[in-house]
Amino acid sequence: MKTDTELAASAAQGSQDAFRELVKRFERPVYSLVLRMVQDPATAEDLAQEVFVKAFRALRSYDPRWKFSSWLFKIAHNTTIDHLRRGTPETVPLEAGEDEEGRGGLAAVLAYQSVEDPRAAAERRDLARSLERAIRRLRPDYREAVLMFYVHGATYQEICEVTGQPLGTVKTNLHRARKELAQMMAGLGWGPVKPAAPPPRRA
Amino acid sequence: MRHLQQDALDRWLAAERDGRDGEAEAALLEMFEALPTVGMTAPPAGFADRVLVRAGLRTAAVPADLFAWRPLRIVLGLALAATGFGVLWLPPLLHFLAGLWSVGGAIQGGIRVLTDAGQWLATVLRIWDFLVTIVHDLAQPLAVPQVMAVLVLSLLASSLAFRYLRDQITGERNLTYVDPS
Repeated sequence: MKTDTELAASAAQGSQDAFRELVKRFERPVYSLVLRMVQDPATAEDLAQEVFVKAFRALRSYDPRWKFSSWLFKIAHNTTIDHLRRGTPETVPLEAGEDEEGRGGLAAVLAYQSVEDPRAAAERRDLARSLERAIRRLRPDYREAVLMFYVHGATYQEICEVTGQPLGTVKTNLHRARKELAQMMAGLGWGPVKPAAPPPRRA
Repeated sequence: MRHLQQDALDRWLAAERDGRDGEAEAALLEMFEALPTVGMTAPPAGFADRVLVRAGLRTAAVPADLFAWRPLRIVLGLALAATGFGVLWLPPLLHFLAGLWSVGGAIQGGIRVLTDAGQWLATVLRIWDFLVTIVHDLAQPLAVPQVMAVLVLSLLASSLAFRYLRDQITGERNLTYVDPS
């Protein structure tokens, strides 16, 4: 299997198949990130397409010393911010559940359900929904940092490169975002299970 | 039996409560790994093909059976209906045209068309002449070297200012600036 850098080099030389493979590899992370920033599926698709088109046109200037995903996420970050700057129209807030489970998430959910008992699957689904809801309530820069770090596995340094923020800011954002998420999750009823109380002493 | 994600959640929240940052981060990472659907959504089907079309690498796919395409069926239906109504008007129209047609009428019509075309051409030439005069008057001061120098300097300054503004706008792409919520 070709690496992202090899595919990018082939695509830069005009290989349509290589570019298509790159799109297939990154369509889900890019769309997911943009969707959670703009919170509107139609806008997210349009912007995600724009991200790939921009990437295609800039492929010749891609420096292989950069990780391809970081380079692509940087384009996604800039495109999303430019869109938000132009003035965000009224959007329908993205409700977790149907959308995620109706498309990409369904296969994963079913895969888990096939090996888990129904109660565990329901618990997992509830927890996932609560976590999505909590992430949605974060401010956009915290949300972006959380998604990149915890969902897409980016390092602190990669987040710095994508967002253009200093390392300290990225770490602070992630720290605060994690604290806020914990508070929200606790508020949604996901507190830690208390240890069983010791049996009463007999006099 | 405690499930992996519930276990990680409990450890995360407990670590947050006790201020154990390292453990909190590790537990949260573990929880995200146990919940791969969180934060991930697939785009609508055919996304990659639409990207290729938009990038100009592929033309939009044409439906295999054109008549299976509903909008085309509707357009064809409307066109047929319009033609049906049109046929009703065809005989009187043909009758009217036949009444007009004669050699004298054709010559007269041709002369009228030629006259109208000549008048139209004369109007266009008059407008062109007027525009040429304006451009000539505007261009005269540019023949003076000092005026030309000022103009070139102004253009240079405005392009530099434009570039500076663009760099300012695109250089600070931080979400805090666009949505401080």
